[in-house]
Amino acid sequence: MRIRNLTAAAAALALALTTAACGDAKSDTSGTSDKITGSITLQTWALTPKFTDYLNEVIAGFTAKYPGTSVKLLDQPGDGYSAKVLAQASSNTLPDVINLPPDFALPLAKQKLLVDVSKDNDLSKTYVQGGIDAYKFNGVAGVFGYPWYLNTDLDYWNVKQFKDCGLDANTPPATTQELFTQAATMKAKCPDNFLMSRKPDVSDFVRAGIKIISDDGKQFVFNTDQAAALVDQYKDAYAKGYLPPSVLNSDYQGNSKLFTQGKVAWTTGGATGLADFERDNPSLKGQVTVSKALDTPPLYVQGVSVSAKSKYPATAKAFAEWITNADNQNKFGHLVNIFPSTISSASDSYFGKDDGTPAGKARALAFGELKDAKNLIPYEVNSDMQKLLDQQIALAVKGDESGKKALDDAVAKMNQMLSRQ
Amino acid sequence: MKTQRWFTPWVLVLPALAWLLVFSVWPSINTLRLSFTDAKPLGGDVDFVGLRNYTDMLHDGDVRTALLNSVIYMAICLPLLTILPLLLAVLVEKKLPGIAFFRTAFYVPVIASAVVVGLIWTWLLDDRGLINNLARHLHLITEPVPFLTDRWLLLISAISLTVWKGLGYYMIVYLAALGNVRKDLHEAAAIDGAGAVRRFLTVTVPGVRGTMFLVSILVSVAALRVFSELYILTGGKGGPGGKDQSLVMLIQQYAGGFYGDFGYASALSVLLFVVTLIPMIVLARLNLRSER
Repeated sequence: MRIRNLTAAAAALALALTTAACGDAKSDTSGTSDKITGSITLQTWALTPKFTDYLNEVIAGFTAKYPGTSVKLLDQPGDGYSAKVLAQASSNTLPDVINLPPDFALPLAKQKLLVDVSKDNDLSKTYVQGGIDAYKFNGVAGVFGYPWYLNTDLDYWNVKQFKDCGLDANTPPATTQELFTQAATMKAKCPDNFLMSRKPDVSDFVRAGIKIISDDGKQFVFNTDQAAALVDQYKDAYAKGYLPPSVLNSDYQGNSKLFTQGKVAWTTGGATGLADFERDNPSLKGQVTVSKALDTPPLYVQGVSVSAKSKYPATAKAFAEWITNADNQNKFGHLVNIFPSTISSASDSYFGKDDGTPAGKARALAFGELKDAKNLIPYEVNSDMQKLLDQQIALAVKGDESGKKALDDAVAKMNQMLSRQ
Repeated sequence: MKTQRWFTPWVLVLPALAWLLVFSVWPSINTLRLSFTDAKPLGGDVDFVGLRNYTDMLHDGDVRTALLNSVIYMAICLPLLTILPLLLAVLVEKKLPGIAFFRTAFYVPVIASAVVVGLIWTWLLDDRGLINNLARHLHLITEPVPFLTDRWLLLISAISLTVWKGLGYYMIVYLAALGNVRKDLHEAAAIDGAGAVRRFLTVTVPGVRGTMFLVSILVSVAALRVFSELYILTGGKGGPGGKDQSLVMLIQQYAGGFYGDFGYASALSVLLFVVTLIPMIVLARLNLRSER
């Protein structure tokens, strides 16, 4: 075969490799009507079929209130939602009203693909401040989503393993440092059991009071000696066998899975966690106790945003306000253990009442925690950056690098990625 | 009567030409164009950045690591997957009772999904996997062998998976070629007193030299483009510290998500293209020289 032919063959091969399609998402607000009328689309994230009836009820209420409107429900599967939204955004086919968590809303807001819903609208009269703040982003003026529902994490502990390994499940760790101490106790008494089961991430640095990003949002600054000391503490814990070796493996499934399998004695989870653990492993029934999150509880916010390209922007905004109003959020919160983001929902006694059941205790604890909950991962830290940091921390925990070197490398790379955003 | 006009061949070629232009030529040109820009998945302003992506690439430690991994992958896979399948093909070429079973057995890994195979190997090589547990029970080891957490062991594990999965495919290619090796040459060599090894080296190898060249090209290109094995064995994270990433994994990482960097990913694609060309040119030169 001649080189020329070979080159041509190679070219064809590489061409097939390098598919690159780049949609130009131009910003043309084509809103044509201030009247609440017309047909819009609502996109939700993995809510059907479990909540189809609820969503249809919300839609029916809206269309009854505003004759001449219709809402088409479009539910997307849980996996690959960000890829789906990205495809919609780059092809100018974003639905009118979209369920977007803040980290998905940020890049869309930067590209002017979402409506600033705070214009002519005092959101603070309706929604809790933490929910509103979640949709405010550095470098973009406005609020780019209505907070829909809130959640936080609790800590779950395996009572039997605590008892067998010299610990008291009634006084589980309340801080990360207590977790290290009790992990050592468990290791000493039960060498095959583990209390700790995950590497540190950005949220652990925030919990420890370490500043993640500069005030202007342009530089990551968490490669401090304090953060390095925390990573090194995990490294020592790993070397002493407080963490299972699988935390460094590719098939690490998260502490929740390990907890469900009975391999570790601690995990974090939402207020519905208990029911999930007992469903997946019935032998855990009666063996799990729940407590408040370590240090600072995390705040998770879900919201709905309005596409800047909606043909019926007034209708889309009205519907987004409708689905996030106190009545509709309260009804949703009664169906599933999530918490409303509306101020008036605090007077709904359902959420804060411990009815004596483990699930009721978890719900009441989580609701109480929300007052102190904070977003522990700045939205600038996207999933690729988290992955990169995880890689570097794995090196440090394994002992191949010092905590400081791993953090310096991660911050340098993350700053490079941030500058390209 | 005139039955064919001048444009008839062009009409016949047109669909293939259109396909080529739309799905090969244009993406290639577009990739090259994007590599000089800061294009993003969500569009917005796209600026021409000159050679910035390429100069960034030169100073990027991750690119150097990924390139090294890809080259090591190719350097090990190339001889193994060029020679072992030939030996395997010679073994199963004979028409013996039950030989079809072995041919099928060797081919099964080829038809198995890369994802499934990757997962099975992950379970085998895990700290608590079959291999480590077995070795522990046999008192061969006290601590698990870090197949999936050590940079080099992870790379070697992925190479082993690639070789294991590729053997059957290239064996079939060689089996087809072996059918064309003249039997009379084997008989003549045998009459001259040549043993099995000598006949293999002097008759079989020259007879399948063209196929060996084709296989080496296919193996080198596939090895430089390796993705699924490393992706699955590292859970998509490229191993501890991302030290086990290949170039394709890096491209996927940069091109994906809301914050994807199409410009940089395109520059990496161009690098991959150039890197893929090098072994092909070298192999082609070697083949030309041996043909003369």
